[in-house]
Amino acid sequence: MDNILKTTGMKKSLGKSLLYTLPMFLITFMFLTGGKPNFSDTASGIALLTVFILVNVLFFFMHFTGKTDKYRAVLFIVFALSLSYTLINNMLEVRKAMYFSQADILECKIPFCHLVIPMMILPAAFTKSIIFPGSIIGGFANISSMVVLWLVATLVLGRGFCSWGCFYGGWDDGFSRIRKRPVIKKINELWKWMPYAVLIMVILSAALTLMPTYCSWICPFKAVTEFEQVTSVESATKAGIFLSLFGGLVIVLPVMTKKRTQCSFLCPLGAINSLSNKITPFTVKIDKSACNECFKCVGVCPLYALSKEDIRSGKVSIFCSKCGKCMDACPQNAIHYGIKGVPSGTLKNFSRNLFLFVSYLFMAVFSAGSIINTFHGLLKFIF
Amino acid sequence: MTDSLILGLSSGSACLATCGMVMFPYLMADSANVKRIAVDLSLFLITRLIIYAIMATLAWHFGQAVFKSPVVRNIVPGLLYIIFAVMLVWYSISKSRNPSCPAKMVKTVSNKRLVPIVLGLTNSLGFCPALFIILTKGSTERTLVQSYLAFLGFFVGSSLWFLPLPLAGRIRKKEVIKNIGILATGLAGVIFLIKGLTNIIGGIING
Repeated sequence: MDNILKTTGMKKSLGKSLLYTLPMFLITFMFLTGGKPNFSDTASGIALLTVFILVNVLFFFMHFTGKTDKYRAVLFIVFALSLSYTLINNMLEVRKAMYFSQADILECKIPFCHLVIPMMILPAAFTKSIIFPGSIIGGFANISSMVVLWLVATLVLGRGFCSWGCFYGGWDDGFSRIRKRPVIKKINELWKWMPYAVLIMVILSAALTLMPTYCSWICPFKAVTEFEQVTSVESATKAGIFLSLFGGLVIVLPVMTKKRTQCSFLCPLGAINSLSNKITPFTVKIDKSACNECFKCVGVCPLYALSKEDIRSGKVSIFCSKCGKCMDACPQNAIHYGIKGVPSGTLKNFSRNLFLFVSYLFMAVFSAGSIINTFHGLLKFIF
Repeated sequence: MTDSLILGLSSGSACLATCGMVMFPYLMADSANVKRIAVDLSLFLITRLIIYAIMATLAWHFGQAVFKSPVVRNIVPGLLYIIFAVMLVWYSISKSRNPSCPAKMVKTVSNKRLVPIVLGLTNSLGFCPALFIILTKGSTERTLVQSYLAFLGFFVGSSLWFLPLPLAGRIRKKEVIKNIGILATGLAGVIFLIKGLTNIIGGIING
């Protein structure tokens, strides 16, 4: 009986789940419609309604079933795909091509993404200039709004940003779910530190060259967003690197390992976000009194953030992105969302409700625009 | 100069990981005194700088004598970059990484005043893949000044790691820093691997 209670600990009744979904329902309604739903264009109306229902149904099921990652991943993956669609669509409308030219760079017309942030810090501090050729305010994907969004989300969620806000993470998250069992089961622990090495290299190279070197040379997501026009050996090499890294770290390795390998072994922003885990109010806690050391959580963690030693010591590592996959897998309900300062094993439901509301609201609000845009595009394409 | 500075900064950690523990006891031996540490460290760094200046001169003259045609000037250094970069990457991913430092020979020096100079000498002449890469770079620079700058960048980058040596005992999580440094070395190898490949492709296209 005790065991049944533990495994169903996070489930809620239908009425309670509806009640917990109500604030999300109202806020997303206000955000998506501005309080005045407009159905004059049928395709836009259907897209808006579909996304609104999708967002709220997923949140309802998080409460009703007690599962987190299962429903988070749906929105997270849809967000990644739709963001790429929106970005590519915008490029094609504005430039008639996915690549950008030297003229676009000179006119600062390159859309900004959060992965540039680590490279901006030193040059901004020493030269008081932004090294990215994008628009500071106004225009599509401007620098100031992205920096503010990332900063707020990271201060609140820590590395949770990587599983609840990053519009690239859904790519390798999606591919990591394709196979039932991993082909590659063990990877050397040393590789976990690679994002820090990449971070150091890109910060230094960007500071020395005053160029966003990660974007210019490494970013695998150039393959699904925008890239430099191939006009020379150098630009062809860059395109080769982007495609190889996308193929290797975002498609092949996630499928083979069932892990988010790009996020685990490359992303320099992930390294900064990991450090921010130390200061955020939300955390993941291990209730050692409930844990029976089955280590199912270690096996399913997509970011190599949990080891047997972590479980035994009762602490998750700084790599944790609070995705909730370990919690969904735990038969004892021993691993749970927590708030710093509150002992593990206490206020489990309260901490989870609070964290889910904040993180899911952020993802819903952040992703809704691009998902609506994608649905709208698909509807227009079909009909 | 930028890429050599980055190479120095990344490989400096690996250099420190292998040689630091040999050098540390000598630099710190019977000295609680900051002045003595500073003098010894300065002598060590000056020796390295002088050796690098000599190597920059030799490498550049060698390049001028050997890499005469533009095709050879691109393809041969390109191949060398690839070989040494692969060695650097291999160092960072190899499980059987064996820390060994030529500075060990300092144990044979009886005059303690000479120790920092011998350490500087052995450390800068410990031909590692990173040094081979910088030698290749120095040999392909257009002017002697550019060759000096390449070595200077490498010297500054790698020397920065030795500056906190007196505080080594107080640094926590040394293993993590070492791991990140070793991986950064591998990344520097990848950068020069790409540089080598673009050199060769560029050489073939332009040739």
